[in-house]
Amino acid sequence: MGTVEYIQHHLTNNTIGEGFWTFNMDTIIVSFLLGALIVFTAARLGKQLESGTPGGFQNFVESILDFVSTNVRDAFPGHNPLIAPIALTIFLWVWMMNFMDLIPVDLLPWLFQLVTGDSHAYLKVVPTTDLNTTLAMAFTVFALILYYNIKIKGIGGFIKMFLFHPFGKFFVPVNVVMTAIEEVSKPLSLALRLFGNMFAGELVFLLIALIGGTLAVGAAALFWAPLQVLLDLGWLIFHLLVITLQAFIFMVLTIVYLGMAHDEGH
Amino acid sequence: MSEKPNTPPSQENRGAPGAAANYLLLSAGSIFTSMLIAGFIVGYVLDEIFDTRPILMLACALLGFIGGIQKVIHLTKRLDNVQSEKKDD
Repeated sequence: MGTVEYIQHHLTNNTIGEGFWTFNMDTIIVSFLLGALIVFTAARLGKQLESGTPGGFQNFVESILDFVSTNVRDAFPGHNPLIAPIALTIFLWVWMMNFMDLIPVDLLPWLFQLVTGDSHAYLKVVPTTDLNTTLAMAFTVFALILYYNIKIKGIGGFIKMFLFHPFGKFFVPVNVVMTAIEEVSKPLSLALRLFGNMFAGELVFLLIALIGGTLAVGAAALFWAPLQVLLDLGWLIFHLLVITLQAFIFMVLTIVYLGMAHDEGH
Repeated sequence: MSEKPNTPPSQENRGAPGAAANYLLLSAGSIFTSMLIAGFIVGYVLDEIFDTRPILMLACALLGFIGGIQKVIHLTKRLDNVQSEKKDD
């Protein structure tokens, strides 16, 4: 397999269906399993809560909860008991999906090919490197933004926002188009940022993994093998920061956008 | 949804989410590009409705470009304000 084929193979989804109704099964199953893992872990921890001296894992989860609720308090004006759970879910789920990027790129596809017996079976294990995932999450947030905009400001207030923002009452047609562009850009920026960062990260991992392709040459392996390990380790440590930051930004921007929807003055 | 929501934001909180603005700064670049892409999308939809392709698409892309620049300037201005406030202190 050549370099280009190797990369293309890793970046192709395992799909069912055709055209518009194509389902990326690997994305759906992996993201569902990760979500189920969060729910299962939370439910299990919920049953074993200790109020006196909490154990290590409970301490860790409590610190995440504290971190998220501090961010909600900082960035969200007003009060809505739904925002913190949404923020926590987004942060944990996106982080888990991003974390799949840190598993060696060839490991899971190789195991999958071994299990299915198909040596060319596709498996793309990082759901956030699939634009469908990030867009789906962004559109969900966008639906919530529209819902709260209409709920808090009323239909009249929402239409007023379209008519008179940002250039005032003398430019109504331009204002309508401009506000529409602004609203459409919110889910786009949410989705494209996460997708772009994760896709690029995955690509760098693939390029580093390609160094291993030269191992068969012989004595050169003494140079290339340590180099691959070093580069992989370096990028892995750096990427750990990237995946956390991306999950954090997605969460915070969700809070900020929902906060704007709750702000009657906006 | 059954939650009991939504007391309106208090006056002192309104329009002053300092920390939130900092987080928005992190994504100033992607906000700018998204505004441009969103301009193309809105223009494309309007062109489909009014059958004026490509005039509205280009016009809306231009609006998106202007709006993107406006947003980035607005965001970075906040940073300037915070820095000058610190200097005054």
